[in-house]
Amino acid sequence: MYVELKNINKTYGDYKASDNINFSIEKGKLIGLLGPSGSGKTTILRMIAGLETPDSGDIIIDGEIVNNIPASKRGIGFVFQNYALFRYMTVYDNIAFGLKVQKADKKYIDDKVNELMKLTALEGLGKRYPSQLSGGQRQRVAFARALAPNPHLLLLDEPFAAIDAKVRQELRSWLKEMIEKLGITSIFVTHDQDEAIEVADEIIITNKGRIEQKGSPVNVYQNPETSFVASFFGQPSTIDDYMSFHSFEDVSGIEKAIIRPEFVKVSKKDEVQRFKSSASEGVIESIAFRGANIELKIKVNDTHIIAKRGLDEKEVHVGEKVDIFIYRLFVTKGNEVRLLENKSLVDDSLVI
Amino acid sequence: MDGKRKESSLVKWLLIDISALFLGVMLLLPLGIVIWQSFKQGIAVYMKAVTDKYTVSAVLLTIEATVTAVIVNTVFGLFAAWCITKFKFKGKKLISTLIDIPVTVSPVIAGLMFMLLYGKQSALYPYLQKMHISVVFAVPGIIIATVFVTFPFISRELIPVLETHGTDEEEAAALMGAGGFTIFRKVTFPHIKWALLYGIVLCTARAMGEFGAVSILSGHLRGKTNTLPLHIEILFNEFQYVPAFAVSSILVAMAVMILVLRSVIEAVARR
Amino acid sequence: MRKKKNKRVIPGFGISLGVTLTMLGFMVIIPMAALIIYTSKMSFSEFVNVITGKRVLSAFYVSIITAFTASLINAVMGLIIAWVLVRYNFPGKRIMDGMIELPFALPTAVAGMALTYLTTDNGVIGSFFSKFGIHIAYTRIGITVALIFVGIPFVVRSVQPVLEKLDGSYEEAADVLGAKRMTIFFKIIFPELKPALFTGFGLAFGRCLGEYGSVVFIAGNKPYYTEIAPLVIMSRLQEFDYTAATSIALVMLVISFVILFINSMIQARNTRIVTGRQ
Repeated sequence: MYVELKNINKTYGDYKASDNINFSIEKGKLIGLLGPSGSGKTTILRMIAGLETPDSGDIIIDGEIVNNIPASKRGIGFVFQNYALFRYMTVYDNIAFGLKVQKADKKYIDDKVNELMKLTALEGLGKRYPSQLSGGQRQRVAFARALAPNPHLLLLDEPFAAIDAKVRQELRSWLKEMIEKLGITSIFVTHDQDEAIEVADEIIITNKGRIEQKGSPVNVYQNPETSFVASFFGQPSTIDDYMSFHSFEDVSGIEKAIIRPEFVKVSKKDEVQRFKSSASEGVIESIAFRGANIELKIKVNDTHIIAKRGLDEKEVHVGEKVDIFIYRLFVTKGNEVRLLENKSLVDDSLVI
Repeated sequence: MDGKRKESSLVKWLLIDISALFLGVMLLLPLGIVIWQSFKQGIAVYMKAVTDKYTVSAVLLTIEATVTAVIVNTVFGLFAAWCITKFKFKGKKLISTLIDIPVTVSPVIAGLMFMLLYGKQSALYPYLQKMHISVVFAVPGIIIATVFVTFPFISRELIPVLETHGTDEEEAAALMGAGGFTIFRKVTFPHIKWALLYGIVLCTARAMGEFGAVSILSGHLRGKTNTLPLHIEILFNEFQYVPAFAVSSILVAMAVMILVLRSVIEAVARR
Repeated sequence: MRKKKNKRVIPGFGISLGVTLTMLGFMVIIPMAALIIYTSKMSFSEFVNVITGKRVLSAFYVSIITAFTASLINAVMGLIIAWVLVRYNFPGKRIMDGMIELPFALPTAVAGMALTYLTTDNGVIGSFFSKFGIHIAYTRIGITVALIFVGIPFVVRSVQPVLEKLDGSYEEAADVLGAKRMTIFFKIIFPELKPALFTGFGLAFGRCLGEYGSVVFIAGNKPYYTEIAPLVIMSRLQEFDYTAATSIALVMLVISFVILFINSMIQARNTRIVTGRQ
């Protein structure tokens, strides 16, 4: 394991930012620390960097406990949320700063900076000041600056937060490609689930200072281990009484059920519906066009659920009565979670 | 857009005239009378007043006190601003409050405090005497009083600038292994250079004109412990109006220079 | 569990805190302590005796009444000047703007002397007013004039930035609704300016109470009539009566801290309103 955190605790006054954090990261992986704001993800990143000190626990980088090693000696590149570019230095000087501080050879600095500017497509911008750059260019300067001293570990704090939506998409794939090419172990913090799923090799989900789950994006999405993770992704509808829907196993002690839009099949009354007997009747309350699909808010069994319909399907209207069939849902008890399949699907597969 | 909000020009010019009249009488007229009076009896008399040996020694003492105040307060301002804006720690609020005390107390009270601290009735006095240091009614007292009344002038300019600027850039530089001095010189200083200059100008203005606190600690020994403002007071009270105004004209010239400098710095910094 | 010292990433905490505290200690804390120690050695009855003395009480009265009048005049004039500087364009505007700080830049003694010279009964201004039986120099009016000079920048510089930031759309909205100019000013603009106006007034008042340099020339220093509190402190010090000087100073300190406190409360309240609104 390349980076390891063992029993890390950190409190600010009454606020527990890290509550017994344990995880480890393999060399060369791109890790996404994902969680809502205030969940302690940035604190974790800053502790690894050495910008904050844990109250207790050990941080190990490359087999060495770094707790008492100052931030500047940890061999880390850090990309700040707002980039923290030196506003009174040119792009060139920004990138060269780390090497100059290390008193590297002039020729080496020049070669390295030019190489990085080429890599990050900043050629010709060396004499500009950060204020003369676009958001995307600034991010690339921050990236190049962090990479210049050849760090073993790259940490990025909300790397895309300060960029407008249009450019963000482009930069995501650029960054992923770049990091893969360089093979540098990287950890980035984000509150955006799409970003984490798309960019990271592995996701670590944080909530209230604890680690909820760690795994590949697919695994975390499909097999949530905690109710928090189950309800974090997508646009989940939370319902109190899942037994009001047909054909689900009755598990005792269940508090809530979570239904993701893709778990729901919405059929018009005149459409053929294989599981008609297990469907419930709902009324469409609102319809929103989401580009690739249509998002419906449906009132069923005294609760509301969010569902989707494709653009190629027949049009539905507000107030229309529709059949709702739930393929599966997550049931939760405390922080435990369990996936329940609709029994009619199981029966069906038995028949076939 | 603007057309809708146009006052009737009568109101506009009335208000402008009122302002101009008020400022003219309150600010320009005093300035004018100083210049007018100092040259009333010709250049020769003016020059004689200005080159008088007591005037010269007052100028020198004023410069000494002002330069000391600027240096001390710059050092303090830089360290205090760094400490307050770059770190989180307990007691920060208290420090900020303490820094502002010198501008909230009357200069006369400031003078009194140093009188009580270093004067004859003080517990320190015997020790000072043993070491042959006299503070009260001597040059050190004047310098201390000047430093005190201008104490926060530079830190107060620097702190807000550094506060809005945040700590990210310094953190980034520190992460890359830069030392404190390098960070300050390369990263922080470019942000505060205009504010620092501005603070120095304000500090100079106040230091050279300080009257109340210095007056208490001076003892008014002509040629020894008289600063320019104190010298002016003595001349005026002796009804030597022309010399008094002539010496004042030096300070008026300084004040005008300071105002111009201030506007220039503000204009440059805004760009 | 190991307890680790919280390391700071940005260097220089120890030295900057050390230098700051040392210098604060020598320049502010120790002198303040000298005042407090001296006070603690005084008896309460001594203190009361001094500050209830007739001459001292009248000095407080003169100080407060002249400082208040001067600050009030400055509040009105400062508002007008700030308005003129922000809203109108006219030749000489930049000079007028730059001039406002003159009272900060010009030594108060010079100002006091020049104002005295202008306002004695044979001075340029004084001779004009004396025809109507109004004497300025060596009266309370003179003190007020000197304090007006000292306090000019405070109100202007407090109101000006607020006026600059004031969203023109408020007034436009009122304009569209057909409000009269006076109504717009008093109902829309003035309430926005009020906190800044109070702040400026408070700062000017505090400064005027402690002012010595400019007043000493013009006041004439007649006991019971034109003797202000700082002057009494000064004369007690010249008589080496430190107890009396300290007692009067304490009262003045309390007054200026009260002003400061009220001011910061107004400001805090104002920030709450402004941020709450957005």
